[in-house]
Amino acid sequence: MTTIIGITLKGIFRDRVFQGIMVTACAFVLIPGLATLSMRQVTELSLTLTLSLISFIMLMLSVFLGGTSLWKDIERRYTFSVLGLPLSRQGYLLGRFGGTALFLLLVAVVLGIAAGAVVAFTASVHPPDRPIVWGTVALCILFDVLKYILLIAVAFLISTVSTSFFLPVFGTIATFLAGGVTQQVYEYIHSPASKNLSPIMKQLATGLYYLLPNFSAFDLKVNAIYGLPVPANGLFLTVAYFVVYVGLLLSFSAAIFSRREMR
Amino acid sequence: MIKTASVTLIGLILYGILILPFTTYLHNKPFVEKLGYVPSVPAFKTIAADQKELVAASLVLKVLIYFGGLVEKSESQLAIPPDYMSMSRLLHGAVKLDPYNMDAYYFAQSFLTWDVKQYKLANDLLDYGMKYRTWDWCLPFFAGFNSAFFLKDYAAAAGYYQRAGELSGSDLSKLLAGRYMQESGQTELAIGYLSAMVKGEHNPALKKNYQIRLTAFQEAHRIEVARDHYRESRGAIPAMIGQLVSGGFLSPPPRDPYGGEFYLEGDGKVATTSKYAFAKVKNKSLKNAGDVNERH
Repeated sequence: MTTIIGITLKGIFRDRVFQGIMVTACAFVLIPGLATLSMRQVTELSLTLTLSLISFIMLMLSVFLGGTSLWKDIERRYTFSVLGLPLSRQGYLLGRFGGTALFLLLVAVVLGIAAGAVVAFTASVHPPDRPIVWGTVALCILFDVLKYILLIAVAFLISTVSTSFFLPVFGTIATFLAGGVTQQVYEYIHSPASKNLSPIMKQLATGLYYLLPNFSAFDLKVNAIYGLPVPANGLFLTVAYFVVYVGLLLSFSAAIFSRREMR
Repeated sequence: MIKTASVTLIGLILYGILILPFTTYLHNKPFVEKLGYVPSVPAFKTIAADQKELVAASLVLKVLIYFGGLVEKSESQLAIPPDYMSMSRLLHGAVKLDPYNMDAYYFAQSFLTWDVKQYKLANDLLDYGMKYRTWDWCLPFFAGFNSAFFLKDYAAAAGYYQRAGELSGSDLSKLLAGRYMQESGQTELAIGYLSAMVKGEHNPALKKNYQIRLTAFQEAHRIEVARDHYRESRGAIPAMIGQLVSGGFLSPPPRDPYGGEFYLEGDGKVATTSKYAFAKVKNKSLKNAGDVNERH
């Protein structure tokens, strides 16, 4: 499996994805200038922009790397030659997933360092009212990585049943959008404002809430931007949720992929 | 090859022909259109996904750039009434997305009070912000000023300033709270407030806006001082500002930066025909803009 992880990483670098990200990351240079448009929170705006840019880049990577990795292998018939080797389909799938997730982590580390430099520079010119809590900023990026690794797992699950890249790509985007609002929907249906909603609708929404991934728990941007405290038990529960949910998605993916007919 | 080069060349020529009128069209697009339509907050929350803070910041910047453009136009003697309703709606949407965004509260405070005279709306927004920005002394400071200066609710003002004093760790707000308990000296207090705002403001458009208002209040204060001297000297309140100038109590004559004329009300209170706002230009395009405003 480690061989597949290595091959996946090499493949991503060979496709010059990293160079593409570095070009996109040049936008970091513009952030200190853009942040000065703020009236009272220049450093906070620079943090908002840097964290959003990192998040956006990781979203693109998750959707396109996660959604096309398996499909590309099947389409180019790489799977025939690779799976002819003494390697299980599950190991192959997990290797591909691990390589993609590792690349995402690597990108987050590089972009995180760049973000730190940009924000530190802005803060030196425009000192914020409240000190920057660097630990929370790092946690925010780390939890963003976890969120997008979870999204990659979703993309892999969809890829195992799909015959084209459309379904994994658009399915992943749809899951991302739905996973971002499930908590709001849950809170709405459990509030007095939803008293006119039919019980079936409420049960359906509750069912979807438990079924779809909940991405709102991974969003620590507001804590990082304004230096708000992060509850330790919440972090622990979110990590546990991530491990269990990704584990379930990968086990489903492996089960489906091992039974998939390759032509 | 030649055919491809010719097509590319034609394309470039067409682009060159098109880009100038296209840029001019966008540059001259009415401000109301530029501010654009904003969907409901729940819809925004869904679309924004995990970028709520970014979307909130972009809404605030949109309003700021729009307002900055209007301030520039007012300098060139073309005073266009801003679409305050849309501005307010955007800023309220922004704080629903990111209730910690200080720019939104700060900017809303600047126009909801002085320009739109929606003091309660401004204080409701500040109260909402205080629930989240629990460390920030600015929000109760603003609310205290609004309560005392505009709403004449001195008990509420004292409460807000007490809170601002506790948060800032200085006695300044507590002292202000004491001063706000008295109704007298409103112009002086406004000058103090506006001076602090001008000093702390980095945005050129807002700074200019505050500076103009500060100058107007300083002029009004000059008249008040002259009026009081006149009363001490002559034993009566002057009927007109001209009496203060001709009597040597007020020199040079006051000038309203908003283009209005200062005058004395029956009880001696200083007022201006501009009502501390630039006069509106009446023309067809602005009438249309006003129509759009009314529809919002």
